[in-house]
Amino acid sequence: MILELDDVTVTFAAGPPLRRIHLDAMRHVSLSVAEGETLGLVGESGSGKTTSSRVALGLQRPTSGAVRFDGRPFPKRRRELAGRMQAVLQHPHWSLNPRMRVGQSVAEPLDVLGRPAGDAVTEMLEHVGLEASFASRYPHELSGGQRQRVSIARALVTRPRFIVFDEAVSALDVSVQVQILNLIKDLQAEYGFSALFISHDLGAVRYVADRIAVMRKGEVVETADTATFYSAPAHEYSKQLLEAL
Amino acid sequence: MSLLTVRNLMIDYAETRALDGADLEVAQGETVGLVGESGSGKSTLGSAVGRLLPRAARRSEGEVVVAGEPVFDLPADRLRHLRRKRLGFVFQDPIASLNPTMRVGDQLRLVLGRGADVGFHLGRVKLDDPRVVRSYPHQLSGGMAQRVAIAMAMATEPELLVADEPTAALDSQVREEVLNVVFSLAAAAGTSILWLSHDLPAVARRCDRVAVMYGGRVVETGPAREVLGHPAHPYTAALAGSAPAAAAHGVRLEPVPGRPPVLTGPSPGCAFAPRCPFAEERCEHERPQPVRVGDQDVLCHRAGEVAA
Amino acid sequence: MRKLDRLSIGGLVCLAVLVVFALGSLVGAGGEPDAIVGPRLQPPGPGWWLGTDNLGRSVLPRVMEGVGTTLLLSSVAVLVTAALSATFGIIAGYRGGYLNELVMRLVEVLYSFPAIVLAILVAAVLGPGQTAALASIVLVTIPLMTRLVRAAAVAVSQRDYVTSAVISGAGLPRVLGRHVLPNVAGTIAVQGTYALSVGIAVEGGLTFLGFGVQPPQASLGVLIQQGGTYMIAAPWLILGPGVVLVAAILAINVVGDGLRDRLEPRETRSLT
Repeated sequence: MILELDDVTVTFAAGPPLRRIHLDAMRHVSLSVAEGETLGLVGESGSGKTTSSRVALGLQRPTSGAVRFDGRPFPKRRRELAGRMQAVLQHPHWSLNPRMRVGQSVAEPLDVLGRPAGDAVTEMLEHVGLEASFASRYPHELSGGQRQRVSIARALVTRPRFIVFDEAVSALDVSVQVQILNLIKDLQAEYGFSALFISHDLGAVRYVADRIAVMRKGEVVETADTATFYSAPAHEYSKQLLEAL
Repeated sequence: MSLLTVRNLMIDYAETRALDGADLEVAQGETVGLVGESGSGKSTLGSAVGRLLPRAARRSEGEVVVAGEPVFDLPADRLRHLRRKRLGFVFQDPIASLNPTMRVGDQLRLVLGRGADVGFHLGRVKLDDPRVVRSYPHQLSGGMAQRVAIAMAMATEPELLVADEPTAALDSQVREEVLNVVFSLAAAAGTSILWLSHDLPAVARRCDRVAVMYGGRVVETGPAREVLGHPAHPYTAALAGSAPAAAAHGVRLEPVPGRPPVLTGPSPGCAFAPRCPFAEERCEHERPQPVRVGDQDVLCHRAGEVAA
Repeated sequence: MRKLDRLSIGGLVCLAVLVVFALGSLVGAGGEPDAIVGPRLQPPGPGWWLGTDNLGRSVLPRVMEGVGTTLLLSSVAVLVTAALSATFGIIAGYRGGYLNELVMRLVEVLYSFPAIVLAILVAAVLGPGQTAALASIVLVTIPLMTRLVRAAAVAVSQRDYVTSAVISGAGLPRVLGRHVLPNVAGTIAVQGTYALSVGIAVEGGLTFLGFGVQPPQASLGVLIQQGGTYMIAAPWLILGPGVVLVAAILAINVVGDGLRDRLEPRETRSLT
C-alpha cells in the first residue's frame, strides 16, 4: 500500500470561544491506495472529500487515526515527502503562479529538491502534449486545458509515486475533460504512479479509477471496484449518484 | 409570445466574430440552458440580452427583443428601465460584480429602495447570518458573494434572469447549493432563466430546454431530454458523447479532434464542418438553415440523415 | 501591455519635472539657497524669479532645495513603510493565527490615532527634526498598507499554486518569496504611491507646526510655514512652495490611479 488512512477523524472547531461548535469533516474514514492503482473518491458538497485530500497530502493533521505513506507513518516535517508526492488541483485559473513562466513552474519541484532541471522540463512538457516553446510562456497566454496539462507536467517532473488529483478536470470544457482524463490514464500506464482522484463528478471518477470510494457527510459509505459502479452499486446513495448521471 | 427573441445576431470584436447569426427564443417562465465551450459566443449572447457588451463590440446585423422591446434600438432611459425592471444578471465572478467599497446591506438597499427589508432578501438566498449585512464583499466567500449577487438580481423579481456560468468560480462544494437557490427563487417568482454553461448534462438536468452554441451560432435547440438523449446535430452528439459519464466500462472515449474555430468574419459554411465526421462538400461553403428534426431545431445540412 | 492613460502620463511628467527641479539644486542651478541676493520681500523679478524672502534670499533655489528635502524624506519613509508592511502583512496573511491577530490589533491601534496627533506624539518623543518627520510618516502610512498587503496575501495564500508549492516541499522562504510576494507586489506599489502623497502632506503639516524639518534646512513645510507669516505682504513666498506641494500630491495620486488600473485591472462593461 502506498497510502493508508486508518480510522481517520478530523474535527474542526468553529465559532466564538464560548459557543464553539465542533464539526466532524471526516468520521472514522479508512482508505487505501495500492501500488499503481487509482482510487476514485466521489462525494457531494461537504462530504469531506476535500479534507480527505488534505489529509492524504499531509496538509491537515488528523484529530485521531493514522496515516501511513509507503508503510511508514507520516513524517513530522512535510518536506521529507518532497518530490515523492504531488498534486494537481482544482482551479486551472489559479493552478500556476501568474508571475512565473511555465518552464519555471514545471521546474520548481526539482528546484526544491536541489536537483538540476536539465532537459526534464521540455521532456515533461512534450509528454503532456505541449511543445517545448510553452516553457517560455506565461500562464495567461494558455487555455484552461493547457494550464492543467502544465500542472500535470509539474506534478510528474519529480517522478512521484503518488499523485492527488483534486477536482482536476471539473472546471474544464467537457471535451477537454476527456482529453485530460485520457492523458492521466496514458501517463499512469507509462510511469506507474498511484493516484487519488477526487471529484464530485461520478462520471469522471468512474472513467479513470480502478476502485471507487463514495463519501457522504464525512463517512465512506461504499468502496468497490469500478466495474461494480457501472453495474450494481450496493449503497442507496451510490445508486442515487449513478442515476443523476 | 416569447419573452426573449434573438434573431440573426452578429457581433464582432476588433479582430474576431463572436456571434455569427445567433437565433434564440425564451418563453415566459421557461428555463433554458445555453451550452457551449469556451469561445462559442455564449457569454456574448448573454450580455447582448441586456446590451451589456464590452465597448469594443460592434453589432453588424440582427436584433434582440425583450418583452416586445428592441434592446439595441432603445433610448438610454428606456434601456435602463428595461434592465432594472425586467432583467436580472448574475456573472461568473461574484466578488467583482459587487461594489468593493460598499457594505452588502447598503448595496442591497440601493437596489431595493431605502425602506426595504434587506434581511428578508438575504434570507431568501439562505444567508441568515446577520453579519453578512455589515460585511464588505471581499470579506465574503465566493459562494456567499454569489448569493448576495443573486439576491440583488432577483430582488426586483425580473422576468428574465441571465446567469453566466454562475458557479464556474466557485468550489464544487457550493455549486449545487447556489443553483438550488437560483432555480427555486426563479420558480417562485415566475422568472425565466437563461443559464449559460459548458456542462450539457448538468444543464439538461435542470432546464426545460437546451440551446447548443458552436462558432457563434445556436446549432441546436429543443427539449432538454431530447437534445441530450437524441442529439440531432453532430456537434451536440460529440459534446454529449465526450462527457466522461457517457463512457461504458473499459471504453476509451475519443474526443472530437481539432479545436473550436476562431472566426474572423462570417463563416462561409458550417463552422463545425472541419471537425465533423459527416461533413460533405456543401458543408464547407453553404451556410446551413434551420431544419426541424423531431422536437429540435437544428442548423445542419445532414440533420435528418445523421440523427436517424 | 496596456498603455497608461493620458492623465497618468501627465502626472508622471509633472513628477519628473519636480525631481529634475530638486536635482538641479544639488548642482547649484537657480542659485545658492542661503545667499542674500537683494532687498527683502521683493516680488518676482529678474535675479529672483520667485521673489525674495524676509532675509533677502531668492525663493527659487529654496523651493528647489525644499522639494528635494521633502521628496527624499517622504520616499525614504515610504520605502521603510513598504518594507515593514510587506514583511508583517505577508507573514500575518499567510500564517494567520495569533501572529495575524497581534499584527492586526497593533495596526488598528495605530490607525485609531488621527495622523497629526500621532505625528506630534512622535515629535514629542524624538524631539523635532527630520527623524521625527520620517518616523511620523512611517507610522501614519503603515496601518493602511499593512492591512491591504495582508488582505492580498490572504487571497494569494489560498491559491492552488501556493498549495502546490507546499506539497512539492517548498519551504517558507520560497513560498513567501517566490509565490506570495510577487503576487502582492502590485498592491504594495500602488499603495506606496498613495503613501508617498500622504507622506508629503504629513511632512508639510508637521513642519508647519514646528515639529518637523528645522530651518535653515529648507523643505516644503518649512517654506510654507515661513511664507505664512508674510502671506498678505508677500504672497509669492507661500504661493511657490504651496503650488509645488499641491502639484506633487496630485501628480502622485494620478500616477497611483494609473498604476492601479494597470496592475489590478477589472473588466469594465460599458453601460450604454
